[in-house]
Amino acid sequence: MNFTDDQIERYSRHILLKEVGGAGQEKLLKAKVLIIGAGGLGAPIALYLAAAGVGTLGIIDGDRVDLSNLQRQVIHFTADVGVPKVESAKDKMLQINPDINVITYQDIVYSKNILDIIKDYDFIIDGTDNFSAKFLINDACVMAKKPYSHGGILRFDGQTFTHTPGHACYRCVFKEPPPKNAVPTCSQAGVLGAIAGMLGTVQATEALKYILGIGDLLTDRLLMFNALKMNFRSVNLKKNPNCPICSATPTITELVDGELPVCDLKAH
Amino acid sequence: MATFTKFYETAPVLLDELVQFEADIAEFVAGKIDPVKFKAIRVAHGVYEQRQPHTYMIRIRCAACGITPAQLIRCAEIGQKYGSGEVHFTTRSEVQVHDVLIENVMTVIRELLEVGLSTRGGGGNTIRNILTSPDSGISSEEVFDVDPYAMALSTRMVNEEDSWNLPRKFKIAFSHNAQDTAYTQSTCLGYLAKIQDGQKGFEVYCAGGMGAKPMVGHLLFDFIPDTKAYHVTRALKTMFDKHGNRRNRYANRLKFLWKKLERDEFVRLFHEEYDKIKDDESLNLVLAGLPNEAKDPGIAVETVSGPDFETWKTRYVVAQKQPGLASIKLPLVLGDLLSDEARAICDFLALFGDNTIRCDRAQNMRIRNIPAKYLGNLYTIIFGMKHHLAKHAPFIGNMINCTGAQTCKLGICLPRGLSTAIRDRLINSDLDLDQIDDLRVNMSGCPNTCGMHHIADVGFFGKVGRKDGDMYPAYNVLAGARIGIPGQTEYAQKVDEISAKDIPTFMHDLLQDYIPKKAKYESFNAYLDTEGRALIKSLCDQFRDVPSFAQNPEYYTDWGAKKKLSLDELGTAECSAGMFDMIEVDEKSIKTHRKALEVDGADVASELYQILFAASRMLLVTRGLDSKTDEQVFEHFGKHFIEANFINAKFRDVVTLAKLGLKPELPKYKDLILELADAVIALYKSMDDSLKFRSTEAPAAEAASTLVEKDFRGVACPMNFVKTKLVLDTLNSGQQLKILLDDGEPIQNVPNSVALEGHKVLSKTQSGPHWEVVIEKK
Repeated sequence: MNFTDDQIERYSRHILLKEVGGAGQEKLLKAKVLIIGAGGLGAPIALYLAAAGVGTLGIIDGDRVDLSNLQRQVIHFTADVGVPKVESAKDKMLQINPDINVITYQDIVYSKNILDIIKDYDFIIDGTDNFSAKFLINDACVMAKKPYSHGGILRFDGQTFTHTPGHACYRCVFKEPPPKNAVPTCSQAGVLGAIAGMLGTVQATEALKYILGIGDLLTDRLLMFNALKMNFRSVNLKKNPNCPICSATPTITELVDGELPVCDLKAH
Repeated sequence: MATFTKFYETAPVLLDELVQFEADIAEFVAGKIDPVKFKAIRVAHGVYEQRQPHTYMIRIRCAACGITPAQLIRCAEIGQKYGSGEVHFTTRSEVQVHDVLIENVMTVIRELLEVGLSTRGGGGNTIRNILTSPDSGISSEEVFDVDPYAMALSTRMVNEEDSWNLPRKFKIAFSHNAQDTAYTQSTCLGYLAKIQDGQKGFEVYCAGGMGAKPMVGHLLFDFIPDTKAYHVTRALKTMFDKHGNRRNRYANRLKFLWKKLERDEFVRLFHEEYDKIKDDESLNLVLAGLPNEAKDPGIAVETVSGPDFETWKTRYVVAQKQPGLASIKLPLVLGDLLSDEARAICDFLALFGDNTIRCDRAQNMRIRNIPAKYLGNLYTIIFGMKHHLAKHAPFIGNMINCTGAQTCKLGICLPRGLSTAIRDRLINSDLDLDQIDDLRVNMSGCPNTCGMHHIADVGFFGKVGRKDGDMYPAYNVLAGARIGIPGQTEYAQKVDEISAKDIPTFMHDLLQDYIPKKAKYESFNAYLDTEGRALIKSLCDQFRDVPSFAQNPEYYTDWGAKKKLSLDELGTAECSAGMFDMIEVDEKSIKTHRKALEVDGADVASELYQILFAASRMLLVTRGLDSKTDEQVFEHFGKHFIEANFINAKFRDVVTLAKLGLKPELPKYKDLILELADAVIALYKSMDDSLKFRSTEAPAAEAASTLVEKDFRGVACPMNFVKTKLVLDTLNSGQQLKILLDDGEPIQNVPNSVALEGHKVLSKTQSGPHWEVVIEKK
């Protein structure tokens, strides 16, 4: 591929890396990644992937920017309050890198639209904040044989793993969402804003590694950290041969919507 | 043999070698030895073939720059009997006799030997003449006299058989103080006199050198006791002998070994040898006494008075540290001392002893140990000579030039003619040249550095200029060498280029600006940095537009030449630097017109024609072909490159179109023409040192796909490496890439980074201020 002089300069720190080089950068420019959620996780993910020159970035979120988001959702600025999050995010992504194509979906993912949305992407990133969406994303990606990165944060903790076809999925570990109100959501329990950056950048890194085909992904491994102790650990995950979705004989054959998010979001 | 002073002892081993050499000459004359082989033999005996076939120049060793009056008389006699009627003082402080026919070579060598002079190691891959500061032993500013070391070391070296078959020439110099007038940091091995804790010794530099790829010497020892000079030399010589590159004669000086090994490994290998011998006191040099003393012959004192005498004394006479003695510089015209005049002055000097003459690097004669009262006598003798420059300011005689295309096979231009033209222009001006005694203006006829343009304040080296297909003599202009601060030597850098014809006016205008401002600046470099460099550029700009041959044919005939610049006589065997320069003119032209093609509104047909023309002409010179017309260029190319299968036959038709002058047809064949240009350049890259192409079978189109060239000069780190990687991405495994990089960070970083990614760095060679790096993709 012929890079322009600006591209060579913009991506020089990638090209310098032996593991990336010109060929790797070309892969990035040709890649399509979908970010689900333009919130705390989606913000760093969208910024870093845009900066990295991932050529097509889809971003889906149905909310508008709220003042309480700004403590951690660094892609949105004070002036954006009230603006659809995907518009605010797209604006910043293109400011960082006009070289890329951003596709916005001002919507939430649910059983009827998700397969149609993810089908065009090479890699999906879960930056949502509720269990029903996380299970839906998992199920849809497994069904569509799409790799994706799971991520979740709460208070001072974060967790993430990467699913690629053939490896453990979210349901191998957690069969179904916890009962309503058993687990507090961000808005109820609080979250240290920077945690979103810590976990989001891990997810962005996984996406880049996947596209480049380098290193070891967080497949069959759940990375967890606690920022108070600043302790990182990973536990091995096992693919469940009886997994209701990814086993040879799945019991879930159709996507269903869980209960609506438990967050008391103002927009809803 | 007589008991007079000698600056080195010729060795018994030399005599045996001479018997062999005489036999070799006889075989060569009888046609039994191949000329190329004979060349290797004779140059190591200081016998060089001149531009005129079968005519030789014989170079005579003058250790410590010294020669006795009796020896110089002998050289002068030889010059008269067998040569050009003169003795020539060289830029390496030795003397030469020119125009000797092959049948007289042995006679000359034997006659020289009778007076203790040797030609051994005058050339070739040998220990060359060992130089010192020309006023060593008599200067009140010296740390100590270094001449005895150079003399003793010369005697030791000419006695060692391995001095004559090194990977490449090996040059040694001794300076008597930090002003470094022997240029110890521009030579293979340099000793700078120093006293530490009351002990005499040397700061030692190594692996420096000028040449087409100049490198500044590196500090090897901050201090060694003076008794270790031999040990260090011996160890470095052994190490060079073992590890130097014997294959590539363009990259086999000691400086290239340093480049290749880098400091740690170089020093380690050196110490491997040095540690073996360093404590062996039996190896210490035996220093011969070389008194600088007065010998009063008791002749009649001539009293001279008047302003001319006073001016001469101010300009050329310096009091020695020995009370009552004077040293005198005799500025020669282009280093030439006529035989009969040599006789006159040497007869006089002989009255004062054997230690009365030195050569200096500006090709002038230095006279020493003359009691001041006889200065009038000497003045009368000098001004009785016709061929000298003592009536002018010292600046005139200090200009240095190599012999150039007049006798040298490599020369493009005639710096002797240029030097004369500058001199004529300046002495007929009203410039106060006495203000600039120490300004160094040096010129070489080709990129080799015999004229020492790299250590000049203003330097020139010859190149071919072209205008509308005509060649004219031109020079690159360099400026700003820094010499004389130990460890901080810097070479002059190229500033611009200019036609030979315009240089005298250029020099005049530059000096006219500089001389009145000189007092304002602490050095010429300070002047350059503030305004001089900008002035040089604007002067070159002013002279940029060279008149066409029709407008002013004078521009096309070099100073001192009798006819238009031509390459017909350019040697192809002794060395090829001049030729490469010419090839690169066309290579550059291809690039220029290629760029021009991309501009909107370009005259595509005309640009393509220029590319095709340059590509066709580029390598004709390697076949000894010079073409008078465009048509002939295409014809020669077709015959000697396409028909000879160096270049693919598919290009034949398009070359024929050009030959027929059908320019408008060319745009249809744009891709083919560009491919042809690549093929020619690739063929050039595949050329080996003897100008043979790697394989006559290899189809050119294939060669074109094997070497890609990129110019990353002016691209800073790390973007140069980024761009290198991107180009490598486009190549196939095993394919080669040549990149041009700037000196400094780029050359230090990029090749290493490339190697870390697993590619092979085949070569790194310095070419002027930049580097060429050839990489093979993994």
